[in-house]
Amino acid sequence: MPRAVRGVLITCEPAIKSIIVHLDSENHDIIIEDLDETHLFVKENMIQVLKAKLEEHLKETYRPEEPLQDSDKEY
Amino acid sequence: MSVQSYQLSDYLEKLPGTTFRKLYQQPSTALAIFRRMLPHLAKVFVQGMLYMPWPLPLSDLDKWVNPDGKMARDRALMTLRSLHIITITPPGKDKPQEISLTTNFKKSLRSAFEGSGDHLSFGLPSTRPIDPSINITFLDRYARKKWEDILHYVVNSVGGETSSSRLAAAGPKASVKDLLIAGRLVERRSDTKTGIAITQAGFTFLLQEANAQVWTLLLLWLEAVDRSSASNTTGLDSVDMLSFLFMLGSLDLGRAYDTEALTESRRNMLPSLVDFGLIYIPRDTRQYFPTRLATTLTSSASALRSVSSGFAAATHNNSADVTSIGTPEASNSKGSIVIETNYRLYAYTSSPLQIAVLALFATLHMRFPGMVSGRLTRDSIRRAISYGITADQIISYLAAHAHEQMVRTAAALGRPVLPPTVVDQIRLWQLENERMSTQAGFLFKDFDSVEEYTALSSYAEEIGVLEWKSDKKGLFFVSKYEQIRDYLKSRKSAK
Repeated sequence: MPRAVRGVLITCEPAIKSIIVHLDSENHDIIIEDLDETHLFVKENMIQVLKAKLEEHLKETYRPEEPLQDSDKEY
Repeated sequence: MSVQSYQLSDYLEKLPGTTFRKLYQQPSTALAIFRRMLPHLAKVFVQGMLYMPWPLPLSDLDKWVNPDGKMARDRALMTLRSLHIITITPPGKDKPQEISLTTNFKKSLRSAFEGSGDHLSFGLPSTRPIDPSINITFLDRYARKKWEDILHYVVNSVGGETSSSRLAAAGPKASVKDLLIAGRLVERRSDTKTGIAITQAGFTFLLQEANAQVWTLLLLWLEAVDRSSASNTTGLDSVDMLSFLFMLGSLDLGRAYDTEALTESRRNMLPSLVDFGLIYIPRDTRQYFPTRLATTLTSSASALRSVSSGFAAATHNNSADVTSIGTPEASNSKGSIVIETNYRLYAYTSSPLQIAVLALFATLHMRFPGMVSGRLTRDSIRRAISYGITADQIISYLAAHAHEQMVRTAAALGRPVLPPTVVDQIRLWQLENERMSTQAGFLFKDFDSVEEYTALSSYAEEIGVLEWKSDKKGLFFVSKYEQIRDYLKSRKSAK
């Protein structure tokens, strides 16, 4: 008899996935099942925590450039 | 991450079958569900089966559908089943599967089409004399005023310089405010001027089309009643309320209806409906007039004014200061926003409502009488996204409110209305923010055999709930599981 497990499917790039796996490795309280390179199955109640942690992690590494600077500033 | 606001289909899907049986006793409800909730193919099925004296073999239904339309067929059947409009007999060895309309739905829809029976399901027009000043224009203005009060209340909770004490003083009734708070469209916060602050759901609500807004509010109301009826204080029943709302959707605009013909509990709903602006009740008469907000509840066309014309109306309210300085009527339902390829944005408006909404996703620099200017920046879009507004919402908002001149130029040159660079950049800014997408649902695992896995996963794909699968691991992920569970059961019993 097949089973159905409640949770959240995450779709992301492999790079992001490896960060999530890394975050999970601290307590193993996020991921239920590692599906493939770009998909993870995680606990529903951990989504907000995960998003916050990921945001924090990316802030340190990610510095995007403003696509456009023009003379708007003078006024 | 976007917060989806509450929709009618979500609400209906959660109701049990017994509730549907009760709802479908009313022809107006059956008709409303038929008109508003069904995809085209499902309507064709229902129409085809409506006057069939006996159940239709499922295999015969396949002849109605193009061979490559199997997916559309399965989705139509899924919708019909989840709304308890059809029943399909489980497959057995000796008997082929048969499909039929549920009794109440069939009876009610027939009677709605034929106009038969004396169920008063479509309201009883009042025979009393009607005040001639209550015409469609009057009702439109009345409904708009009521609804705008509600929107202003939500917008003003954004705080900042756009809110004026004059607007804060007016606003909707306390009961409506409580509802907005209970529905978490706004929340009480002591650190703002008005004492309340808008939530993510509130932003999504603001950018919705008016019809969706009305339903969002009504469903919040139904839920609130459901909760309090557990403690049994209101005497209202959410099923009866829903069926009354469907009835309102089938009434004629500009016509007076008799309140005496309503049941006690429905009469109790009237004051709240007045607060929402769905109906108008003249003083000292036993009449009620449905407004456009009510009569378009169940039509799929967004006959109701859009957000843009809502803004226009708001502009119109302040037309004293607009016209006095000679600004052309930026109102009527025409758009007012000009956006250039360098992300600068100009909006010909003095509506506090529209300016507040623009300020959600643009950095506004200057304000003139009748016009504001600003620009879209990465930060402003990111901020909007963090409120729960999506890039698509912003883009469709800009497109829907583009200035006439932009629309004309674009049409003449055969180009899209919004500069493609801007559209792409807004999307890119969102992507940058959303490094992962999430989808709640169910993972199916531990299948007995490969064959069972294949059958279930392909069924999930057919009805359109499959999100991910791995043949190698024998796992798949679906957004909804009810249909699959039923399918699994019917497979088991067939063996």
